Amino acid sequence: MDRGLYIAASGMLAEMARQDLLANDLANASTAGYKSDRATQRSFAEVLLTNTQTGAVVGPVGTGAAITRQATDLSSAPIKETGEPLDFAITGDGFFAVQTAQGTRYTRNGQFAVDAQGRLVSNAGDPVLDANGRTITATNGTVDPRRIGVVALTNPVKQGDSLVTGTPAGAANGTVRSGALEGSGADPARSMVDMIDSMRAFEAGQKVIQAIDETLGKAATQVGSTS
Amino acid sequence: MAAQQQRLDAVANDLANANTTGYKHQRVGFRDLVYDQTGRSSAQGVRTGSGAAAVDAGRSFAQGSLQRTDRPLDVALQGEGFLRIRLPDGRDALTRDGGLHIDGAGNLTTSTGSFVQPAIKVPAGTAEDEIAIGADGTVTAAGRRIGRLEIVTVRSQAGLQSAGDNAFVTTATSGPAIAAPRATVLTQGALEASNTDMADAMVEMIESQRSYQLASKAITMADEMMGIANQVKR
Repeated sequence: MDRGLYIAASGMLAEMARQDLLANDLANASTAGYKSDRATQRSFAEVLLTNTQTGAVVGPVGTGAAITRQATDLSSAPIKETGEPLDFAITGDGFFAVQTAQGTRYTRNGQFAVDAQGRLVSNAGDPVLDANGRTITATNGTVDPRRIGVVALTNPVKQGDSLVTGTPAGAANGTVRSGALEGSGADPARSMVDMIDSMRAFEAGQKVIQAIDETLGKAATQVGSTS
Repeated sequence: MAAQQQRLDAVANDLANANTTGYKHQRVGFRDLVYDQTGRSSAQGVRTGSGAAAVDAGRSFAQGSLQRTDRPLDVALQGEGFLRIRLPDGRDALTRDGGLHIDGAGNLTTSTGSFVQPAIKVPAGTAEDEIAIGADGTVTAAGRRIGRLEIVTVRSQAGLQSAGDNAFVTTATSGPAIAAPRATVLTQGALEASNTDMADAMVEMIESQRSYQLASKAITMADEMMGIANQVKR
């Protein structure tokens, strides 16, 4: 069958995946320390078209599109003053380290609390670590922001629950301040525009399929008819 | 959307309690949900998240402002700590609501009928303005010491569970009640106002509502795309 059908369909599927990423950004527009995702699309390998009679090269033709990479935008988001003694935000690069049941994980969400043992814990109840990987004990319900470790990561990958995995690469240059939270990195205006853009591209893909379908319909019913 | 709904509920509760003595406003945090491989038409390693969820971030135990009432049985706590009380159902609890009363049997109770712990009995015939409550909680009636209001706190205030009626009960995450820091003092003749900040609550409500709207827009978009896909073959 005409390869155009499949090319247009692959474009539509890629747009749907992009729409999923955008919807996730919007849903996390209030998540402290959230980092938004960008989808990068790439065309499939191109093939050379040749004239079937003479063998002359007509030119290359693409075979569709796919999302090849999703990049997380790790730049800092604006910091929001909350006045709570156990809210922390990192200005600059780096992550907080927390000790989870699965091992050390990293986060930019500094909405912490104190547990029954007096340790500083994340909002999921996992202890927060200092620069040397030890837990931190609060004194009189407060923690000096300088005691909290800030870790640089290579290849950070989002894992859910505001946590990130990656390979630690020493201390980062970010500084911690208390009484503040980092806002979400999702930009609702940009996400909306991207969504509209993505939807129209999806619609265009549908129109292409319909056009090819019509040509095929003509080929199937009208070629050879005499009236 | 469900997460934003929970935040709106919390803000509404804060606003409703803007005039509740000793009320501490609720805090709601958010987290993103698990990430997994995006379906067909995308390369290995492209992962999409599955939304957001609200998490309970405890309450803000910031000091509320003191309101002078000049009623001898009103006490306000300044600093970290709670009064120990026993709820009518027998559970031990903590409260910051210091509007005290004397019941028919002469017991010192809170405005909701919980007895202060340890129990303090006011001798019959004592007028309210003969009762003095010191900064450390010592209660004297007509110059005679009749008991002491105990000021306690817990390791993790975020772990306290709200029991309604301005009272909190300790849980495994909050740890047991321990003595409050010395800096915490009682002020007689005043009440602690709610620490709900109207302006903050309003801003939070607006933000929450807009986020809700954006999420609903994303649903509309996804719906339209499904519609378009259905129209491929007319």
